[in-house]
Amino acid sequence: MLIALLALVGALVAVYLTLFKVGVIGELVCHIGSCERVNTSRWAVFLGLPVAAWGLATYIVLLVLALMSVQRAGFERQIAWMLVVLSGWSVLFSAWLTSKELFVIHAICIWCVTSATIMTLIFFTSLVELWRARRAERAESFDTRSAAPPAASGSGSMRGSARG
Amino acid sequence: MSQKSARAQRSNVVRTQRAASLKPFYYGLGVVALIGIALIIRTAQHSDASRPSIANVSLTPVKAQGHLLGNPNAPVQILEFADFECPHCAEFATITEPDVRKRIIDAGLASYRYFDFPLEHFTNSVPASNAAACAGDQNKFWEMHDRLFQGQPDWSGESNPKGVFETYAKALGLDVSAWDACYDSQKHIPEINANRDEGLRRHVESTPTFVIGTKQIPGAIPYDMFKAYVDTAAMEAMKNGTQSSGDSATGKAASAKP
Repeated sequence: MLIALLALVGALVAVYLTLFKVGVIGELVCHIGSCERVNTSRWAVFLGLPVAAWGLATYIVLLVLALMSVQRAGFERQIAWMLVVLSGWSVLFSAWLTSKELFVIHAICIWCVTSATIMTLIFFTSLVELWRARRAERAESFDTRSAAPPAASGSGSMRGSARG
Repeated sequence: MSQKSARAQRSNVVRTQRAASLKPFYYGLGVVALIGIALIIRTAQHSDASRPSIANVSLTPVKAQGHLLGNPNAPVQILEFADFECPHCAEFATITEPDVRKRIIDAGLASYRYFDFPLEHFTNSVPASNAAACAGDQNKFWEMHDRLFQGQPDWSGESNPKGVFETYAKALGLDVSAWDACYDSQKHIPEINANRDEGLRRHVESTPTFVIGTKQIPGAIPYDMFKAYVDTAAMEAMKNGTQSSGDSATGKAASAKP
């Protein structure tokens, strides 16, 4: 649930920055740092698209995965892995962008820092989710085993269910 | 009932209960999304409102400044207040301005005057204005102007953009040592400041801002809108029998021509 909420807030931040980048919003509200300087630098574009747009796409994917996980669709562990990998990659990318802000552009964009913080929180929450999903799987498999009658008295089909 | 179907039934019940218990969570997400969207819309509207609205501009004559393109005696005078590092200015310079030059300036309908309006948050704006003014000493202001806007991503945000500017000077066939001496001397800084002050006097708050005739228009407006303003200013000038008032910045009063 927390991941879905964080991804939604991150997506809203990314929408705001994307709208500025495409010219819909003229000026960014930026009480700390120099958001426009960062967002008009050459590092605000990645593979021909605004970095904010990449961020938006990533947050949307994270939001969908988080909602699937909340629904308990039956693939919790796989979803948690996807969340960890995607948010982990995004944290590395955010760290690279923040290093550009600090050491090359010499300006900080508070919205970009907010997004990087959100992504880091998503990453750590995903790690916790992955740990929980694995623990739940183990517990389920243990419950199934203990619920099954002893192998000596059980039928073949019962043994099959115990394994499953 | 088999064990399997009992489990499936139990699982369905759990899922239904879970879906019901998730309702407040989805409502909460919806509320967050709505608040976020409302804030973005409000910020966007505030950003537009903070720009100066289209208004009649002062006709007070001021000292000649800026960089001229076209016939200074054309019926309409256009002033542009821009920042070389501003992305919307670059968008206008590379997309719309070629049409403006060809169809309006070269056609003799108007003259065009560029005023530096370096914004505080762009650290390379003044160096870029300096580079262009030094190219202007060798009669290549507009060539450098175009290069700077076309190559904006190459030097914007650089800690020292001079190297990039120098490659432009070379490519334009300037006397690089003279350009270099001019750039380092910063002798054009007072003119750049005077251009900015003219913008402040006119309450320019965002770049680019245009003065076409008696109208002050903020934003990188498209060509059709630009031409409509020029046509209106030309009609006003014809009606009044004067040169339209953009010339207030050239040192002549609006009634300079009988």
